[in-house]
Amino acid sequence: MNRQTITRIENLLTSRFVLAAMLIAAIVLVPSRALSQFVDPCCAVITTGLNTISGLLRNVVAAPLRSIQQIQQQTAGFEQQVIWPADAINRARGMATLGQTQFRQMNQLYQIPVASATLPAPQRLEQMLLSANPQNVAQVSQQYNSLYGPVMPSQDAPAPVRDLVDMTDAEAQAAMKRAMEIDALANLELQAADQMNRQLQNAAPGSAPILEAQTGAWLVRANAYTQSAMAELVRVRSIELANAGAQIKMSATQTTGLRNAAGTLLQQGAH
Amino acid sequence: MERQVMKKTLLAFREMLSKRCSRVTAAVLVLLLVFALIPPGANAGIGDIVSILISIYGTLRGGIGGPLNTILSVNTSIRDLHQQVVWPVASLNQARGFVSQVTGQYRNAMWQIHTLPTDSATLINPSQLEAVLRSGQTSGIAQIQAAYQRLYQRLPGANDAPAADRNMLDMDDAFAQEAIKTSVVSDQSGNQMLSFADTLEQQAGQAAPGSTPLLTAQAQIANLESQAFLQKMLATELREEAARLAHDNAVRKRNAGATRNLRDQVHQVLSRP
Repeated sequence: MNRQTITRIENLLTSRFVLAAMLIAAIVLVPSRALSQFVDPCCAVITTGLNTISGLLRNVVAAPLRSIQQIQQQTAGFEQQVIWPADAINRARGMATLGQTQFRQMNQLYQIPVASATLPAPQRLEQMLLSANPQNVAQVSQQYNSLYGPVMPSQDAPAPVRDLVDMTDAEAQAAMKRAMEIDALANLELQAADQMNRQLQNAAPGSAPILEAQTGAWLVRANAYTQSAMAELVRVRSIELANAGAQIKMSATQTTGLRNAAGTLLQQGAH
Repeated sequence: MERQVMKKTLLAFREMLSKRCSRVTAAVLVLLLVFALIPPGANAGIGDIVSILISIYGTLRGGIGGPLNTILSVNTSIRDLHQQVVWPVASLNQARGFVSQVTGQYRNAMWQIHTLPTDSATLINPSQLEAVLRSGQTSGIAQIQAAYQRLYQRLPGANDAPAADRNMLDMDDAFAQEAIKTSVVSDQSGNQMLSFADTLEQQAGQAAPGSTPLLTAQAQIANLESQAFLQKMLATELREEAARLAHDNAVRKRNAGATRNLRDQVHQVLSRP
């Protein structure tokens, strides 16, 4: 290549027109990646792969999902119609309303006055005993003594008799006091039961066992109070029994004393 | 000195740029820039695509399909457990039927036993009192006092008995009447409780497993109410027993007083000259 040719090429390359043309050509000639449909083997592989995945989605994902949906619907229907039907729940709530009405009526029956004393002293004691007010417990002894009298003085009876009388009075008063307490406790239990009944009217099947547990606890408590009242009753009867036994023992002692005295008297007369 | 060197360098640079050979350099630079800016083609091979598809396949089959099948299996087991073991409809119906059967078998029979007449008095006054106190109706409570007094006599007049005796007799009568009245109240309340129990049982016969806790709670409340009423009866019995004890004791005290009086009188008689 001679020098002239080189100079021409140099000129050609350095002209602005050529420079612009080269730029355009470079941009146009850059290949874009357009893949043909039939010739490229990748396309066939992708198609096969996508078809496989589609089938897989149908069989492995959609089918179990459909079954799960079906089972969930069955379960929901079973729970709504068999386990927790709304009408049965509402009927049970209605039962709580009915119960409250009936229990209040029963409670009112126990408010009917049953006092029957006619004289002032018995009336005072009776009023106190039927008050169901535990604050009156402290005054029972005074009212009791004014009606049944205090323990006799020592010159009126021997010590064993006075002991027996004192013990009997104590037990009688204790029983009266316990009766007032158990009345008051029963009233509180009825109040609590009424509150629980109100709560039950708005309860759900899921919250009802909580109320049931609470009522169960109250029942245990009530049983314990009943037990304490029964214990008092047992004490009263045991004191009655003890008194009857003591009476016979004292009679036996008195008979022995009388026999000895009579024997002594007869011996003195014989001399 | 340095300034001059710098000036010379800049001039030489300008000259160089203005020369033709520098244009060639510029053209080459532009070409290089164009090629550099063209995004390179990501030419994945067929092996890569197959690998990706296999990976997706594996994820769908193992990662999604597997857990879905497990969920399906668990749901099926839970459904079967609920419907066949915990709440089988047949058993529920059987239980409801059992409630109805037991109700039919016992309720009326028990009610008949409960309402068997126990009246036994034969004379007029006892019969009247007995009728009121076994009526189970609190409306009859007002008649108790009159019937009681007709049968057990009125309180002796102030001139007929010492005040202590009259007080004690009045108290005894009061406790006896109170207990009788309370027993009438208890009978009526007990009958109402029985009626409530019937309703509760009837509801149990129509209940669903989900509504049963509400009925059970209601039964517990009824049980508590019943226990409270029982306590009221017990309180009445306690008062009655206490009154009997107090009565016996009061007699004992009075006997002691009477014995002392007798002793004093005998002593007075014996000590007379």
